Amino acid sequence: MIPIVSATLFLPLLGAALLAAWRGAPPRAAHALGIAFSGLALLGAAWLWARGASGEGFSQVEEVAWIPSLGVAYRVGVDGISLPLVLMTAVLFFVSLVFSAGIRERARSYVALFLLLETASLGVFVALDAVLFYVFFEVTLVGMYFIISGWGYEDRQRAALMFFLYTLLGSLPLLLAILGLYLGSEPNTFDMRELIANPPLTGLAATLALLAMLVTFFVKTPVFPLHTWLPAAHVEAPTAGSVILAGVLLKLGTYGLVRFALQMTPDAFRDLAPYVAALAAFSALYGAFVALGQSDLKRLVAYTSVNHMGYVVLGVAVAAAATGARAVALDGAVLQMVSHGVVTGALFLLVGMLQDRAHTREMGAFGGLLGVVPGLGWAFVLAAFASLGLPGLAHFPAEFQIFLGTLRVYPPAVVAVLGIAVTAGLYLRAIQVAFLGEPRGERRKLRDLGARETLAVVPLLALTVLIGVVPSLVLGVIHATTEALLP
Amino acid sequence: MISLLQGMQGMGGGPEMRMARDLALIAPEIAVLLTAVGALVFEMLRLPKVALPFTVVGLLAATALALPLLGTETTAFMDTFRVGPLGVWAKLALLPATALCALLARAEVRGTDREGTVYALLSFTALGALALAGAGDVMFLVLGVLLSSLGSFALVAYPRDERSTEAAMKYFVFGSVTGAVMIFGLTHWFGATGSTLLSELGRLEGAPLAAAFGLVAVAAGLGYKAAIAPFHFWAPDAYDGAPVSVAAFLSVVPKVGALFGLAQVASDLPAGTGWPLVLAALAALSMTYGNLAALAQENVVRLLAYSSIAQSGYFLLGVVAVGQSDLAVPALVVFAAAYAAMNLGAFAVVVRTGRRLGDLAGLGYESPWTGAAMVVFLISLVGIPPLAGFFGKLLLFGAAIDAGFVWLAVVGILNSVLSLGVYLRVVVPMYRRQKLVAARPAPVARGVQAAALALTLGIGLLAQIFFGGGG
Repeated sequence: MIPIVSATLFLPLLGAALLAAWRGAPPRAAHALGIAFSGLALLGAAWLWARGASGEGFSQVEEVAWIPSLGVAYRVGVDGISLPLVLMTAVLFFVSLVFSAGIRERARSYVALFLLLETASLGVFVALDAVLFYVFFEVTLVGMYFIISGWGYEDRQRAALMFFLYTLLGSLPLLLAILGLYLGSEPNTFDMRELIANPPLTGLAATLALLAMLVTFFVKTPVFPLHTWLPAAHVEAPTAGSVILAGVLLKLGTYGLVRFALQMTPDAFRDLAPYVAALAAFSALYGAFVALGQSDLKRLVAYTSVNHMGYVVLGVAVAAAATGARAVALDGAVLQMVSHGVVTGALFLLVGMLQDRAHTREMGAFGGLLGVVPGLGWAFVLAAFASLGLPGLAHFPAEFQIFLGTLRVYPPAVVAVLGIAVTAGLYLRAIQVAFLGEPRGERRKLRDLGARETLAVVPLLALTVLIGVVPSLVLGVIHATTEALLP
Repeated sequence: MISLLQGMQGMGGGPEMRMARDLALIAPEIAVLLTAVGALVFEMLRLPKVALPFTVVGLLAATALALPLLGTETTAFMDTFRVGPLGVWAKLALLPATALCALLARAEVRGTDREGTVYALLSFTALGALALAGAGDVMFLVLGVLLSSLGSFALVAYPRDERSTEAAMKYFVFGSVTGAVMIFGLTHWFGATGSTLLSELGRLEGAPLAAAFGLVAVAAGLGYKAAIAPFHFWAPDAYDGAPVSVAAFLSVVPKVGALFGLAQVASDLPAGTGWPLVLAALAALSMTYGNLAALAQENVVRLLAYSSIAQSGYFLLGVVAVGQSDLAVPALVVFAAAYAAMNLGAFAVVVRTGRRLGDLAGLGYESPWTGAAMVVFLISLVGIPPLAGFFGKLLLFGAAIDAGFVWLAVVGILNSVLSLGVYLRVVVPMYRRQKLVAARPAPVARGVQAAALALTLGIGLLAQIFFGGGG
């Protein structure tokens, strides 16, 4: 049997190692190698998807001894929650590397860092050992720090530093929680399957561990008031960096929320669920309203992420409460993660393309873009409509299920649905200002989508439509697991 | 050899038999002593070229002699010297570290007068550190502190310029005072227990005053050696006045020896004396003060000096948990090995670039490998996985929580974030576009750096070996 999970996981790292060893690799070759290895990882992820996950527990588990005295081992595997995220991650890294192929400045380091980041991100989703999870979780910080500080925009050093300090401060409480779970388990183990099957902590210890995890995952997600690192990091990050940051790294927070908080401290989470739901609803609304106030397109998309991720957290909180309709909300939350990755990835790519051409992201500086660059324009309109939750596109089935579950459990939290109206308003305004009307001044002549850019954006748009039209493709996989998890 | 040892243990035997067994148990120490003497002889014969290889080979041979002792848990010389996981791992980590320091020193003292004495002094000082790490008796603590201090003073003063002389003077004065305080306080323990053996410290239960006196004295004496705040004042000046390689050595070998010595004391001191709380307070102070002070440094050696004060605080997390958590001893051992690798690595880079922060500017572009290695050493010091420092800190935090010191683990975690700020102050200029000012071409330092890098990356993967020996 081929260890396909491990192969998928470490292929990008192998690519990074090859690049590190290949001194003086020309930029074209570096990009080709990067695309090849992330393509191989994508094939691996597709193979994983084809082999599927059985409903109960984890499938395709691979295990190697590491530190037996501590109960630490290399354990990886997938279930219906992680499998869609693995595939989404592989897709986003592939298109990001395709899109980045124009970068000439220190291309070798750039591609190597992206490949390192890909292994780390995939690792978080497939890890079944808490130490291994934490290792991958933190490596993503290092990779992203160097990507922002090395290839970002004007104020990148400060933004990168803030990102690193803030998210390191955010992730260390998780280490305490993991140690608490480890010391509470009998016999002591870091095996996540054991910790999920027999949640080791009870009472105050469980609540403290949960609070520590919530801090970590709320910083990462991000949830108000721990979101302040996000705008700076997004605005200063290079385009592909933003795609990965929003598309993949934010999911680490919500995935951890499901995997650790929901599955390892279920009772404590049930007690805190109303508060988490309230905070999530507020965070979603807050993100939408702040996004409404932005004129910088990149900041706008960044803040809509706060809105969308707020819905995910709301869905998880609803699932944590011990009443009916739990699986529905969790299904919605997991699908929302995938949808957000695909849609926001496309939006950041498109905003980045606009910036490459016009060297500005102020929506007021553009006008009539649909006439100037029809391909890019219509792509943006499609992605924006998906982001505001139009039926038939990726966000709709996810948000629908989240709100369905919320309505049954916490009816008042449904006010968060207002966020959809606000998002609709802000996207329509952006489309009206920048894409309709008369072209402005020197921005009359811009290039439309090139081949490389088309190749990067089209797969994401296709997935957006596919998930919107046939959500059962993904939901089937998710539901098989959530149903077994939350009867 | 191991079966031979066990055989001897089983027999009990007469005095000669016991002596032979004891000597076999300290074979590594004897080898280090012979190495030091040998290096001195070659120096006298004016053969510094031979002294260095002799030292390195001797230290590595001593390391090899320590390998069969892994897994033994016994004492030698009537309980005064302990051969257990702490003592054996101290040899396995500190002797190769000393060898690497000797190689690094070569880059700085090559061709100077009396070059060979540096290697001899390094070996003598390491011997003192080993005495501390295996101490089973307060006399060994005193002996270890004195032996390692005397060598260190001379090493710091080696360049014989104004700065190094002043640094050595400070170091010496501070050392004499804390050493005197330590001996004075230990007499109270001796008075109260009627024995100098650490294993008799349980008798202190009914004598709180004597226990407190001795505790403060040991904290001062060993805290000085380990550069724990508030006994650290000598460290930044001494490190900065000394050759960089000596600073690297001082920040690793005597420090780890002293901390292991403290752990030996802690394992026998009754908890009723309140020592865990005292050491926990010192740990919090050391971490916080070291990191805050490091934030303000413009000189990389001083920055690393303050960072090493903070790292001593992390070590104390493990010492606090000794006897209360099974994780404590493995935590100290893993973190010691990790710390030796990453700290020596960082100093090896500084040997090549220069002491000022500005000297590192542009390093990431001019020599990408050295730049990447420096980044690895520094973020390993922060404790970011999957590097060696992370596994050490994971165990240290685990031990502290297990022993009921959750607040101390929280302080440690907040300090990790603070320390990221410290180390990024070094990393950021490295990736500024700038010509490297003065890089010293030092192929040996390059080798040391490569070895440290391999260990910093590899210790995490091979962490199981630290548990193999009955840890």
